[in-house]
Parts: sequence; structure tokens; C-alpha cells
Amino acid sequence: MKEIVIDVSVDGEISIETRGFTGNACLKESQFLKDLLGKEQAKQLTPAYYQGKQKTKKYLQLCG
Amino acid sequence: MSHVAKIELEILSLEDLKLACKRLGFTFSENQKTYAWYGRWIGDSPLPEGILQDDLGKCDHAIRVPGCNYEIGVVKRGSKYILLWDSWHRGGLEEKIGKGAGLLKQGYTIERIRREAKRKNCQVRHEIKNDRSIRLVLRV
Repeated sequence: MKEIVIDVSVDGEISIETRGFTGNACLKESQFLKDLLGKEQAKQLTPAYYQGKQKTKKYLQLCG
Repeated sequence: MSHVAKIELEILSLEDLKLACKRLGFTFSENQKTYAWYGRWIGDSPLPEGILQDDLGKCDHAIRVPGCNYEIGVVKRGSKYILLWDSWHRGGLEEKIGKGAGLLKQGYTIERIRREAKRKNCQVRHEIKNDRSIRLVLRV
């Protein structure tokens, strides 16, 4: 399930967390919220972000 | 989880600011050109970006908070709105709207997201945490 979690503190601080996305889809899908609310101050990518970016090498045994 | 971002709020929608005022029980006074404050800048806090000393006390709209002697000025600067208000304790505002007008900013953020989520047909879940922070969960 794909979700965007927005936490707003009583000081008005906002953090946005994307869940269930792989690759850079999270950036695209959450951009509308960032545009809606203001400026992005900081961003931390998590391991799921890199999923789908890694190439898997397979070695096939050709003889023997 | 794929990324976490911190956002610096910019007030871009007067409509959502009005909705936030309604939610908090404040009165939005459209086209009120001055707001109540101490009346003289004593330099105890920095002026917001783009605001000069002579701008203090003047506004495009104002917000009245029940039980407060002072008011909040809403000033348009380009596409953004800046909140001007005097935090001196006798004005009563800081006690009601929080340091840095945090409660008003929180209310604005929630209204802004809810309205956009409705427009995009997204489901929104609303949770209030023990520290009074609010969590909105959008199902995309």
C-alpha cells in the first residue's frame, strides 16, 4: 500500500514520509505536497529508494 | 518507506488560512488594513524577511483571536502571505497561537492538505498524537 504520512507539530513544523514506494516514484508522488506547502529544507533517502536502481548480474555456466 | 522530507511552510492560500481560522475559532477580518500591536518596535526580535520597521502595524487582512488584545496582520508579499504579530505577553497572542504562530500554521497546513486530498480524491486519515502534533495519512 502506498501512503504519504504528514506530521505537523504544534510549532508548525512539517515532515513528510513516503511509504510503500520503490525507486524515485516517491519523489514524484509527493512533489505536489511540497509545492502545496512551501520549500523542502532537507531530504533523507531510505533503502527502498534505491530498489530497482541496482543491476543484478547473473553468471551462467557455459561449459563443464 | 522511501524518503523523509522536512518542509518549511509558506502560506500561499488565503482560502486555507480562512478555513484554519474557522477551525481554531479565530475571526478572519478581510481587508482590515491595520492590526492591533504594541505600536512601537523595540527591536527585541528580528523582523520577518521582506518586512521593514515602517511596515509594522499595517496589513492586507487581519485575524482576531478571542481573549487577546493584539491581532495578527496578514501581509501579501508576492505570491506569499506573511503573518505579522506582536508576541509581547500582554497582547495574549503567544499563549493562544503558540511560539512562532505554530498552532495557526498547523491549522493552515491541515486545511491545505485536506482540501487538496479531496480535490485529488485521496483518502485521508487524521490522527492526533499525545504531543498535540497532527498526523495525516494520505493513501495514494
